[in-house]
Amino acid sequence: MEGADEGIERVVDSKDLQQQSKAFDKLTDRVEDRQLDSSRVQEAMASIAASAEADWQAMRMREKELAAVKINAADVDIIANELELDKKVAERTLREHKGDAVAAIRHLLR
Amino acid sequence: MGASLPPKEANLFKLIVKSYETKQYKKGLKAADTILKKFPDHGETLSMKGLTLNCMDRKSEAYELVRQGLKNDLKSHVCWHVYGLLYRSDREYREAIKCYRNALKIDPDNIEILRDLSLLQAQMRDLSGFVETRQQLLTLKSNHRMNWIGFAVAHHLNSNASKAIEILEAYEGTLEDDYPPENEWCEHGEMLLYKISLLEECRFFQKALEELQKKELKIVDKLAYKEQEVLLLVKLGRLEEGEKLYRTLLSMNPDNYRYYEGLQKCVGLYSKNGHYSPDEIDRLDALYKTLGQQYKWSSAVKRIPLDFLQGDKFHEAADNYIRPLLTKGVPSLFSDLSSLYNQLGKADILEQIILEIESSIKTTSQYPGGMEKEPPSTLMWTLFLLAQHYDRRGQYEIALFKINEAIDHTPTVIDLYSVKSRILKHAGDLVAAAAFADEARCMDLADRYVNSECVKRMLQADQVALAEKTAVLFTKDGDQHNNLHDMQCMWYELASAESHFRQGNLGMALKKFLAVEKHYADITEDQFDFHSYCLRKMTLRTYVEMLKFQDQLHSHAYFHKAAAGAIRCYIKLHDSPPKSTAEEDNDMSKLLPSQKKKMRQKQRKAEARAKKEAEEKNEESSAGGISKSGKRQAKPIDPDPRGEKLLQVEDPLLEGTKYLKLLQKNSPDSVETHFLSFELYMRKQRILLAFQAVKQLLRLDAEHPDSHRCLIKFFNKVGSMNAPVTDSEKLICNVLEAERQTISQLHGKSLFETNNSFLEKHEDSLTHRAAFGEMLYILDPSRRSEAVKLIEGSANNLVPRNGALGPIREWTLKDCISVHKLLATVLVDQDAASRWKMRCAELFPYSTYFEGICSSASPNSAFNQIRKSTETGSSNHWVGDHNAESTSNGKLEAFKDLTI
Repeated sequence: MEGADEGIERVVDSKDLQQQSKAFDKLTDRVEDRQLDSSRVQEAMASIAASAEADWQAMRMREKELAAVKINAADVDIIANELELDKKVAERTLREHKGDAVAAIRHLLR
Repeated sequence: MGASLPPKEANLFKLIVKSYETKQYKKGLKAADTILKKFPDHGETLSMKGLTLNCMDRKSEAYELVRQGLKNDLKSHVCWHVYGLLYRSDREYREAIKCYRNALKIDPDNIEILRDLSLLQAQMRDLSGFVETRQQLLTLKSNHRMNWIGFAVAHHLNSNASKAIEILEAYEGTLEDDYPPENEWCEHGEMLLYKISLLEECRFFQKALEELQKKELKIVDKLAYKEQEVLLLVKLGRLEEGEKLYRTLLSMNPDNYRYYEGLQKCVGLYSKNGHYSPDEIDRLDALYKTLGQQYKWSSAVKRIPLDFLQGDKFHEAADNYIRPLLTKGVPSLFSDLSSLYNQLGKADILEQIILEIESSIKTTSQYPGGMEKEPPSTLMWTLFLLAQHYDRRGQYEIALFKINEAIDHTPTVIDLYSVKSRILKHAGDLVAAAAFADEARCMDLADRYVNSECVKRMLQADQVALAEKTAVLFTKDGDQHNNLHDMQCMWYELASAESHFRQGNLGMALKKFLAVEKHYADITEDQFDFHSYCLRKMTLRTYVEMLKFQDQLHSHAYFHKAAAGAIRCYIKLHDSPPKSTAEEDNDMSKLLPSQKKKMRQKQRKAEARAKKEAEEKNEESSAGGISKSGKRQAKPIDPDPRGEKLLQVEDPLLEGTKYLKLLQKNSPDSVETHFLSFELYMRKQRILLAFQAVKQLLRLDAEHPDSHRCLIKFFNKVGSMNAPVTDSEKLICNVLEAERQTISQLHGKSLFETNNSFLEKHEDSLTHRAAFGEMLYILDPSRRSEAVKLIEGSANNLVPRNGALGPIREWTLKDCISVHKLLATVLVDQDAASRWKMRCAELFPYSTYFEGICSSASPNSAFNQIRKSTETGSSNHWVGDHNAESTSNGKLEAFKDLTI
């Protein structure tokens, strides 16, 4: 009786674990992609418009403006150190506030 | 790929790749070894072998081989790709992205690399990069369905839902008219529902509704279809149609509260804040009476009216609601009614109802005005309900009286002991609460719920070892530590951590808090495999929902508790560093030679004991492994079982900052977050960051005692600093001068005056008076006695009636404990602390902290009296004996004479 119970337990355990392991493994199985009708695809591709151009231009103008701002390198270091920020973040914020360290810090403390 | 190999070896290389993709790692390894026999320096083969070994848990070998392979063939996109995959498996996503980008420089149109890159970008929420990569994939392979879907989802996540709609419509344009084939109905239906949810998100409600109805036949999920349709109808203002559809949904599931809410909206009877005019209440009442006739089995239709009814109507409806459930013996009735206690006046009405029922049943065995005789159990459930009622109203003495009466009535009902435990916990006797929770547990050893409740009470009473033994009864293989951690059992780890913290065991506390933090890190990583899986399965709505959930993951209350706890540990570590070995040796050197000898002997004994225990643990672990699976399972050995290494952290404040940043980002509306931020940054001398914390505290609750404390402490410190010398100091000074103008509490006042103003506003509040006293002492230590006198002079007034609380006084046990600690450790006035303790012992007679007369900390308490009689073998079996010697398998002996 005792042996039988233990046997049952072992079987259940290993079977259950196997099922769990199998289900989990299936998640990352390699599967072939579904294919689409290629003649219809050509028409659809043509309808995708590139509106990214305008956005990119606007961003470029903004970056140009910021690059022209004069800043004090020591201020960048102080802000980065005191507020425990990445130097790039500190520099960008300083540029956005036209080099005014007090205004930049007050913005970052918001 | 493998172009430099001869045909035979090139085919073997393809086999390695295929074996990797299909997870046949041994086969792949064999093929790699065959190639390397002839071409031992082939970079790509070395890399692929390394990647294969990585999947077989041979990580160090893997890195070695991959790096060697890359070194041998720097211009191979395969080698870079493999290196990226290796980093990815170690969650080094940024490094992995760098590798992928290098691979793409060499082979810009490689589909596999672009796909892997897109997964990483999704994981890291680099959404613009994700859009770009998915667009490339679509351009390269536009006949793959997954690429269309991936591109659409990328735009949706990048806040461009209308673009996503365009893409999905273009994709639909590529399909045959008789699409989908039978085996893809579910997937296509899900895609359609996703598109409609995008239209809704863009507020194109009319178009969404038209599309939904047009595609009805192709949508398999009929429930989602109906629910989506009704939402759109309501948003378009077509309320009559919406009402009809909500009634249909109710006929499908009359216990869904959202359907009732939707129906109320459609008939113009919904109020967000739950307030209704008398006329609206009448119409609502009529509506629910009608619905009640239709859905007799629904409990929702009977319960919802209790939320909006008032006065006599509420009295009648609540009475009718409660009676059948008491007769039936529903233990969760109080939980069901619990939310009503937050509404003015309803707690009093409920009390009246239940007391009338109690009185009537005791005298006539019938409900008031009832005709039928009630079974004996109705009285017990009534007492059970009353006990919980008085517990909620803060009247613990009456609550205990009622629950004891119920236990006398029927001593074999487990729920009675659980509730008694909870009442005692609220009253402040955690030890007795643990004892009664254990009593409940012993009455049903097969129920993990009561086991867990017992474990939690034991941890709250700081009985950690006993709690561990109790929890182990339900863990796999009896391996409690590993199993509860493996199964991410956070409630246990948090309760255990807090217990260790209270007892000053910072190492164990930190270990448990960080274990919870690791679970959240794991949950974050768990989403990775679904970035490709969900696109394949097309479960897009659920996928997007999961991503949004993941973005908010660290806002969960458990993470907050773990991070806050860890930060508190690190602050304590910083304030009181553990002694280093050198310091201990120094202490030792002051001892006499004979004392030194004794000390060393003691140390050796302790070390031997610890070693023996560790060995026993390992033996148990490995033995368990053998017996279960028939072969030895190698379990990773815990390198730091007691958290001692965590105590050796070089910079505790730096470690604390990591978790603080997560709290600041994810729990910005918690006072505790910014209080901890203040404490941590003040210690780090980051004046501006400490000030930011003060600003946040004032934003959230300017009148909170902790906000006041931080404000005064901060400006007191700033005021005592030297005149600025360095550029850094000058800049800080300028910022603070500018910011000080924005703080109204300080306008034209000294800190003393600010503190006095605070007191004038809150002189009736104990917690605010305590904050005032503490700050007065900090500003001027010579005025300590004045501060103490003011705190002791606080009055414990009655709480105004008509709230959720009964006729009790304002002071809470928690606040009184805080004041006692303040008097004892901050103001350091032991006489005042003693007086306070005696005073509170009267107010909280069950509190073990204050050693109240009724608490288990008092030798004269009823609890200990009963325990004595049990020990002497009295016939009273029902109150648990909680000796340390009791076995972890409960007290079956106590129930030997039990008869039913």
